[in-house]
Amino acid sequence: MKMTLRKAMLRASPLTLLSAVVVGTLGLQPAQANDKLIELAEDPANWVMPGRDYDERNYSVMDEINKENVGSLRPAWSFSTGVLHGHEGTPLVVDGKMYVHTPFPNTVFALDLDDPGRILWQNKPQQDPTARTVACCDVVNRGLAYWPGDDDMGPLIFRTQLDGHIAALDAETGKTVWMMENADIRVGATLTIAPYIIRDMVIVGSSGAELGVRGYVTAYDVKTGEKRWRAYATGPDEELLLAEDFNEPNPHYGQFNLGTETWEGDAWKIGGGTNWGWYAYDPDEDMFYYGSGNPSPWNETMRPGDNKWTMAIWGRDAETGEAKFAYQKTPHDEWDYAGVNVMMLSEQEDAEGNTRKLLTHPDRNGIIYTLDRTNGDLISADKMDDTVNWVKEVQLDTGLPVRDPEFGTRMDHKARDICPGAMGYHNQGHDSYDPDRKLFMLGINHICMDWEPFMLPYRAGQYFVGATLNMYPGPKGDRQNGLGLGQIKAYNAISGEMAWEKMERFAVWGGTMATAGGLTFYGTLDGFIKARDSDTGELLWKYKLPSGVVGHPMTYTHDDRQYVAIYYGVGGWAGVGLVFDLEDPTAGLGAVGAFRRLQEFTQMGGGVMVFSLDGESPYTDDVNLGEYADDDEA
Amino acid sequence: MKLTLLGIAAAVALATPALAYDGTNCKAPGNCWEPKPDYPETVEGSKYDPQHDPAEVSKQGDSLAAMDERNQWRIWNMKQTGDFVYDVNKIPDYEEGSAPPSQ
Repeated sequence: MKMTLRKAMLRASPLTLLSAVVVGTLGLQPAQANDKLIELAEDPANWVMPGRDYDERNYSVMDEINKENVGSLRPAWSFSTGVLHGHEGTPLVVDGKMYVHTPFPNTVFALDLDDPGRILWQNKPQQDPTARTVACCDVVNRGLAYWPGDDDMGPLIFRTQLDGHIAALDAETGKTVWMMENADIRVGATLTIAPYIIRDMVIVGSSGAELGVRGYVTAYDVKTGEKRWRAYATGPDEELLLAEDFNEPNPHYGQFNLGTETWEGDAWKIGGGTNWGWYAYDPDEDMFYYGSGNPSPWNETMRPGDNKWTMAIWGRDAETGEAKFAYQKTPHDEWDYAGVNVMMLSEQEDAEGNTRKLLTHPDRNGIIYTLDRTNGDLISADKMDDTVNWVKEVQLDTGLPVRDPEFGTRMDHKARDICPGAMGYHNQGHDSYDPDRKLFMLGINHICMDWEPFMLPYRAGQYFVGATLNMYPGPKGDRQNGLGLGQIKAYNAISGEMAWEKMERFAVWGGTMATAGGLTFYGTLDGFIKARDSDTGELLWKYKLPSGVVGHPMTYTHDDRQYVAIYYGVGGWAGVGLVFDLEDPTAGLGAVGAFRRLQEFTQMGGGVMVFSLDGESPYTDDVNLGEYADDDEA
Repeated sequence: MKLTLLGIAAAVALATPALAYDGTNCKAPGNCWEPKPDYPETVEGSKYDPQHDPAEVSKQGDSLAAMDERNQWRIWNMKQTGDFVYDVNKIPDYEEGSAPPSQ
């Protein structure tokens, strides 16, 4: 029943062949760099980055655990991180070790997969606790990055810290190799995003649009920490770092000088557009993809204009950082639909039968965007639920969303029943794509809101929001009882159809993972890991974890056995009421009211739970493993 | 009477898109914002003037420049000595507000 490594690799080969053919037909160069990381990612024994590989599909070719036997999935072992608060992201597994990260103070642990009871090393940074006060939405962190090393230097683990630092740690010893300042908490800038490795660079995003932080993305040399380039989301073109042919294939998206012209005066200097979501990378195009966040403040009346280039999907050249294209999803945001969500890459035939290199992105605004990732062409833009009402439709030829003025926001007016709410119909969850079924497995929110803005001054380091919100379940949920806040759906980006959809009690906040075993795994805020049939959505298995889940599942093989791992530890924006003991329904930027029932189902926690068939582990293989012996050196 | 009311309602419904900001009337490619009915084209001088303090607004840029400079000293020192030192005050020759010597 067990799938050997060789077998898994053989299974992977048709896919690899297919992509080689696609690459060949498009006349592209094969991958020159990053080969080591790509090679490591192809081995099911590893999970080397958030999303598993550069396509960010959260998909595994392993099928040892499948529809037939998932009922016998049991916990194999677990690990408590020793901290509470939201545990977002997922652990990394490389070279027989699991690397575990935590929320503030962002300790990193290395565990030995041969004997997971042993903590190989831990790196606990000293941080100014003031950092916690400028974190808008819990003290979460989305993950680690791994650089495989070269002839001169051993492998490194990269960590971002809430206090704005990016640090490189020796993967063998955990020793800090270097640490640089990327964000200053004194101006409200923090870091929660996971770092991302492209060749010998580590890419770092930014957080703080709720404190008026102008967003930027920075590339550092992995070995020295030297800054290679930095690109902003607003302002002059040279700071936006635009390529000479920026948006040439789609000039109607807008091209030059818009980082200032779509703002009044200097408002772009405190204009938000931070990126704290996820990245994807196409080595053949040497482009990476990500989304910029919401403009500041939330009060739309204080910032006339399209507010470019907040809320945009970016395709940037990795080497230079220059933008080849950008598409603004939500011009002049009025709902905090921060556009930072996951980017998943696929190769599919479009409606005309042309094979396209695609990027699919379920946005906060309730639209799932699919673009040609070589040039930014808009392929599809579908509502993830028919209850989205701020927009009537997205015109594929102009790229413009046709707004419904009834559901806009403005000063001296309380808008009601806007869907999605500010938490979006989709938030930070890292979803998955099943290439055999051509389905995106989407963890969706079902939350709407009332919204009333108010005037406020900007003071660096202080909150700069300017809106009062009430949030509650969407029309398909139970508004009376405050439940029915989530959905999970399987979506085809070309046909625009949902293969299946299921309601959930709470928002599916953490993302999903799909496998060749025909299973879609995900965690829930009320504390379960669940497995559904990828073809029908039928619930096949679940397990009650110690606390709610806000991260995404991962899978790896070790000693020819497939494991599924997931963080537990409720928190994040959805959990702020529970985490900080808040009662005012408008507190927590409106999340407290929406999730008022959460505390009846879960409490805080923090750790990793690892599953296998029948709960088999190194300790069931040999009950004496890890026992104290007289000659024990440790 | 009913018909007349219906007629007015229909006329209002038809007129609304032309009046209200729906995001499809563009001044230029990528620039499609319009003020909402009864709201100003520019907020400066209006009752919605944010009156940003230039000193506050420039703090982020200053902070980034200072962080970048400290990072340069850290890198310079690591290249000189082979050891990483985070605290710039422990780096010999460090001078706040200046770039490290060129190598």
